[in-house]
Amino acid sequence: MDGLTIVYLGLTCGLAFMLLVNAAAFGPLGLVVALLSLLAIMLILVLNYADFILFPAITRLLSIKMVPAKGYYMPKGSDAVIKYVSGLYYATGYLTANIYNYVFAAESVDEEEEQKLGSAPDKWERIVMNAGFPFRFSVISMPKDLQKYRDELEGSRGTLEYRLSKEQEGSQPSQLVIDDLNRKISVINARIDRIAAGERPVDATMYIESTAVGVSEKEAMDALSNQLAHLQTLFSSFDLSIGRVMGREVYHLFSFGYALPEYSALEQTFSTQK
Amino acid sequence: MAISQKFLFTLLLLGTFLLVFVTYALPIGIIAKFVVAVAALFLDILAFSTKLYMSFFMPFLHMKNGTLTIDDSEAFTIAPSSNAIVTRRGGDVYASAFVHIPTYRSSSEMNQEEKVDFARLFSRALTISKTPVRFSAQLCVIDKDVYINNIKDRMNEAEERYQATSLNKNAKREEVERINGEATMWHNLFDNVNRVRSLALDVFAMVTAQGNTEEEASTLALQQADEIASGVSSVFGVQASLVEGEDILKYLEPDHMIPISTVSEEMRARAASEGT
Repeated sequence: MDGLTIVYLGLTCGLAFMLLVNAAAFGPLGLVVALLSLLAIMLILVLNYADFILFPAITRLLSIKMVPAKGYYMPKGSDAVIKYVSGLYYATGYLTANIYNYVFAAESVDEEEEQKLGSAPDKWERIVMNAGFPFRFSVISMPKDLQKYRDELEGSRGTLEYRLSKEQEGSQPSQLVIDDLNRKISVINARIDRIAAGERPVDATMYIESTAVGVSEKEAMDALSNQLAHLQTLFSSFDLSIGRVMGREVYHLFSFGYALPEYSALEQTFSTQK
Repeated sequence: MAISQKFLFTLLLLGTFLLVFVTYALPIGIIAKFVVAVAALFLDILAFSTKLYMSFFMPFLHMKNGTLTIDDSEAFTIAPSSNAIVTRRGGDVYASAFVHIPTYRSSSEMNQEEKVDFARLFSRALTISKTPVRFSAQLCVIDKDVYINNIKDRMNEAEERYQATSLNKNAKREEVERINGEATMWHNLFDNVNRVRSLALDVFAMVTAQGNTEEEASTLALQQADEIASGVSSVFGVQASLVEGEDILKYLEPDHMIPISTVSEEMRARAASEGT
């Protein structure tokens, strides 16, 4: 969770909590106020963590069809963007697809990780050969402030080294903890080395989109669901963090197709891979 | 005037704070206090939801017949130079340019070391830009629309000639058979073209720049695209180039990713084969 979200959650939940604490001042209505305050806190948390469930539920309940641009619409399930052209429905849906293992692999000293990295091109070609329908894999790369990032890394390394020395000097040092701290330090060192070698630090967001065609909206949507499920199976060989994108995020990914967002907007909308 | 999300959040949060303060400090009746508390909670939830749903707030207020129109203008327009697209968000103008990255080598031609190097090059390519960039690999249906329409025209023409010749009593038998053979040939070719879906893999990068005018934004986007093209060319050793004209649409419009005639003929052929 980014710092800004913590601030938003803290402030809004804090105010609801203030009402909860003061519920006794409402006399006979105190219990209702307490319940409403708790409900508000829960709703804020649900909005933050599960809006991909809440948003489509609301649009489905109220039968809301969204129009993100002329000629396109999002059906009431908010799980796709549809374009109607010359009697055909083109339904486009999205999957999140952050390939955590493969970006970190380059920073790892583990031989097994290198083998994994070497198998990536083969896996990709196998996916392309087996798909048999149109899809697009996208990586949005966001460069970060070099100095700020380096300072952050050095700060983290300092903290980890301090924890490591405390653990080693402790009365009962745990080998598991020491190994874990050493691994984290080696990842940070690898990152610092890469920056020193001239690479820029980037955050990346990855997603997959696929388009299906049908003579009716239902046919296109059914075909799209099948295609996305098939892509999930195909990409599972990559150890992806993969899931269908629903609700407002569909609109954001649709708009990213025409203009890339600023870093802050992307960070607030999607989880990024650092 | 467009209201920024942070401004609206602050405003709603201040409103919530004031109402909560009223419930604490002012000596008002319990019912009034209760109404104020409910209003405070409503504003509180509204304040948080600005973080996620700012783009939908105003359209929601103007919603008609269950249709929430976020934007009723075209998703993009092609810049006059035809090598960038222009989009508008509120009062801001954004231009995006595309770089085609050709791919020549298959992993089946690489040894293990080359595969690892290639994967590392991909990682390096992500860091070549100082600005946000989107790298995409897209599998799209090869556009056979022109080819299919050409075959259709020839097929119809041959059939018409066959009809006309077979009705002509003076026509020679060999001539009628020859035209019939030609019509059959076009029919067979047409059926074969639709039997298999042909797909192509395209790799491209996209960059976006903001400007005060379309020209300014386009120029900035093209500068960034040139940087990406030269960076990618040096990393992968290929000749990356700017995408121009109608080719841009393939990366944007679903009906160009899956061309209409190609796919509708495929659907017709599939329906026919399922029917038999």
